Amino acid sequence: MSRRDDSPAAAGEHADERAPRGPYPPTEAMLAEPVPPELQAAQAERLRKAWETPKGWRYWSAVNNSEVGVWYSLTAFCFMLLAGLMALMIRVQLAVPENDAISADLFNQLFTMHGSAMMFLFAVPIFEAISILILPAMLGARDMPFPRLSAYGYWSFLIGGIFVMGSILFDVAPRAGWFMYPPLATEEKGPGSDIWLLGLSFIEIASIAAAVELIVGTLKCRPPGMRVNIMPLYAWYVMVVGGMILFAFPPLIAGDFLFELERSFDWPFFDPTRGGDPMLWQHLFWIFGHPEVYIVFLPSIAIAAMIVPTVARRPIVGYSWIVLSAVGTGFLSFGLWVHHMFTTGLPNISLGFFSAASEAVVIPTGIQLFAFAATLMVGRVRVNLPMLWIAGGLAIFTAGGLTGVMLAIAPFDFQAHDSYFVVAHLHYTLFGGMVFPVIAGVYYFYPFIAKKRLSDRLGKWAFWLIFVGFNLTFLPMHLTGLLGMPRRIYAYPAGLGWDWLNLLSSTAAFVIAAGFAVFLVDLLRPKSRQPQIARNPWEAGTLEWSHDVPEEAWGARSVPYITKRYPLWDQPKLVERMDAGRYYLGDAEEGFRETMITSVIDARPLQVQRVTGPTWKTHGAAIFTGGAFIFPTFHIYWPAILCGAIAVGFIIWWLWSDTARPPEKEMKDVGLGLSLPTYASGPKSVGWWAMWITMLGDATAFASVIFGFFFYWTASPDFPPPEALDPVAWLVGLAAAAMALAWALTRAARSLNRAGRLAAARGALAVAPAATLLGAGALIFSVLHMSPTAHVYPAIMWAIMVWVVVHSGVGAIMQLYCLAGSLAGKMTPRFDADIWNVALFWHFHALSALVACAVLGLAPMVLT
Amino acid sequence: MSARHDPQRRRDRPAERDEERRAFREEAESLVRITAAPTIWSGHFLLCYCAVAIACAKAGAVPGWLTGGLLAASVAALAAIGWVGWRAFRQWNVTDTGDFSNPEGEAEDRHEFLGHAAFLLAIISFIGVVYVTMPLLLVEGCR
Repeated sequence: MSRRDDSPAAAGEHADERAPRGPYPPTEAMLAEPVPPELQAAQAERLRKAWETPKGWRYWSAVNNSEVGVWYSLTAFCFMLLAGLMALMIRVQLAVPENDAISADLFNQLFTMHGSAMMFLFAVPIFEAISILILPAMLGARDMPFPRLSAYGYWSFLIGGIFVMGSILFDVAPRAGWFMYPPLATEEKGPGSDIWLLGLSFIEIASIAAAVELIVGTLKCRPPGMRVNIMPLYAWYVMVVGGMILFAFPPLIAGDFLFELERSFDWPFFDPTRGGDPMLWQHLFWIFGHPEVYIVFLPSIAIAAMIVPTVARRPIVGYSWIVLSAVGTGFLSFGLWVHHMFTTGLPNISLGFFSAASEAVVIPTGIQLFAFAATLMVGRVRVNLPMLWIAGGLAIFTAGGLTGVMLAIAPFDFQAHDSYFVVAHLHYTLFGGMVFPVIAGVYYFYPFIAKKRLSDRLGKWAFWLIFVGFNLTFLPMHLTGLLGMPRRIYAYPAGLGWDWLNLLSSTAAFVIAAGFAVFLVDLLRPKSRQPQIARNPWEAGTLEWSHDVPEEAWGARSVPYITKRYPLWDQPKLVERMDAGRYYLGDAEEGFRETMITSVIDARPLQVQRVTGPTWKTHGAAIFTGGAFIFPTFHIYWPAILCGAIAVGFIIWWLWSDTARPPEKEMKDVGLGLSLPTYASGPKSVGWWAMWITMLGDATAFASVIFGFFFYWTASPDFPPPEALDPVAWLVGLAAAAMALAWALTRAARSLNRAGRLAAARGALAVAPAATLLGAGALIFSVLHMSPTAHVYPAIMWAIMVWVVVHSGVGAIMQLYCLAGSLAGKMTPRFDADIWNVALFWHFHALSALVACAVLGLAPMVLT
Repeated sequence: MSARHDPQRRRDRPAERDEERRAFREEAESLVRITAAPTIWSGHFLLCYCAVAIACAKAGAVPGWLTGGLLAASVAALAAIGWVGWRAFRQWNVTDTGDFSNPEGEAEDRHEFLGHAAFLLAIISFIGVVYVTMPLLLVEGCR
């Protein structure tokens, strides 16, 4: 966070010229002044033109959140249906003892894909999808700050998802369980495990892109006046979940990185015969895997936090308590991962810590449910269909939470571990905490998204079918599990008391499926003859219900000044004035797509952000990124490298042509007498924030690799092995010096450029890549004599080297990009966002390079 | 919202309001500050877990001095969280304003809201540290 946000003097010498000018906040008299009708019509016409959705086949080049969000949601929903069909096949096989409806191998593929797809292709992406779709409207923003990043994320998700899901049709799907434990998964023949690893890594990167977008969106794109204490609770949850993604996904990416190096090149990270340790994978997986559960749960419960006040027709009770609940859960959820590993033989006292934290997380989780109950108790409740789904969800979730409290107690978990009891527990939490609230959200937000309504009658049918079917399927599984039925077996003998329970579960699974079929019919049936809906059909109080009916692509006709938590209830004439274009940015005189950037805490207007429009460049970038991930699955490397290079080319083209270009005028009148800059660099710009957040995730992944090194040291008595070769110390020292020099030159280039000393800045930017490459080269040669397949010690040294060298390549491209920008006049002393972002990347990269050099150069001396 | 919430009362004290206004402006970092208590919890948790894991892996036992040191760290963490919580409680300032929920779009309400959120997070972090300390007292050895 920056104090700079609030004091213009601190942000560079030109800050005063680029500081906001004019009155703020607006007075009532200013807001009461009418806008002439002819002007309103002309403004609306210009806005409509700027935000026009492309027609015909060009429709697919759209990047606006309302299009990408819908595609994203529908794709995730399709994957959910496919994963649901897989579950039905699993249930058919388990319906009767000694069944042979499908083969054991297909069964393994089905349960692996069911879990993986539900988690990676449905639960996480649907959060991103729904947030991209509704968050800008809740914040009165025109769009997210980086629409093309969302589009790139979506196309990556689609390609990766089809690739992973499609594998089952060719009988090569992953089959080692959704958590891919080595050695089963590392030893497995065929490309199954590689498909899982590479396909999902690709999707994880899309998730991180979405997290960056959503965090920056929440922090910087709120409407003027919407301070942190009055922003919608949904935005709080999104911010917390975005932060969790940044710390939870990178350990898995690091794990995937090590895992794939083992699969492809036989580097023995998880092979105990050569010093590796399968437990490292379990740690990295579950450091991701447990927060993941909350990453899925919190945004869904956030939907409940929007629906409950509408139903109770009063503000939420305990707003601060819900914020506590979200933030507290976000933190505590990182202290739970070992409760998935209670039976791996860790010391009891360690289990105690994780058991304690697992019990502690129940407190914030419970608090929000009590806040909802309290709101309903003191409100004037008018039950509607979304509330029915929320109520059903909370009931189921509470049951799942209670079995969670049981399982968090280690001795109980020893008994129930790997049995159907766990299956019952996790489905209760995920259905109650995620599926039901998300469906409630679909019913609730459908009028906002599609400007139509879903049927109340079909919705009730779907609810009761799924609710009853769910309980009949999963309640018996508690008992099946306690009677000893293990998970993931494809057949079982008769006479163990499991028969009728399994038959009941299998039959009821089809009742759930029937419920989803009804929901699907309701969702997809043509609604063109339906009369126009009311603008605010639920009479809600939050800003998204100021949407235009019939639809307009501009998001908000003008960006309002907000002073209340429920502006539609408590700010009279708000919608009327928004519609008249009375507020900010009610016009698009230059024909650009624009949205407002405000300060983090108090949402004071800072800047007008020009956002990018329809393009095909993101498709090219996504397709070739896909190639770079998909070819290695089949151990084909040259085309993969070529694809990677082309993808980088597309991304550079996209950045070069449309981002951070000098604007045609520096200040712009945004209405109500306020003038805002059209360009920002450094901590004032959204791009800098995005870089900061991305690098935080990247640093977490790097820290996970370094954690691996120290993990081997603690877990094994002979690490480093006594006879092992060490990295060449002087080369490691040279690498550290060269990286430090490259960093210093980049940092100096930023100041020199700002000071107008262009020749010196360009000189620094020309020398810096050479220093970078020298450092990377030295690092490569420092480990070249060590054989990474021989033992895990050289292997982890190589892995750290590879990590740093790849980042150095990115860093060198960035330095050259700035040099080219300076030469081409894209980057000037006044318009220098590029070099600020690159310098920020280099702060992180230099730090990780130095840590890497310390581990490579110093750790062998210290640890032996 | 709160029946005791009375905006009129604040307007009666213009001099104080100016001073407060300056204080509110100076807290741009406060969004990070609300995470102070849970961050202390995380640090304490990691310290306990890592120290015990290394001791068990390398020495096969948790020496008495380590348990003692970790208990001392628990006390320090609880004291630090207590201090954060007390400061946050003062920032919330509910005893003076009687305003529990701070729902208005004003600097003062935002300031007090962040105090309230930080205060609640301090409570939950305090409980978290107490929970995580219990195995140190109740579980012996590395088995």
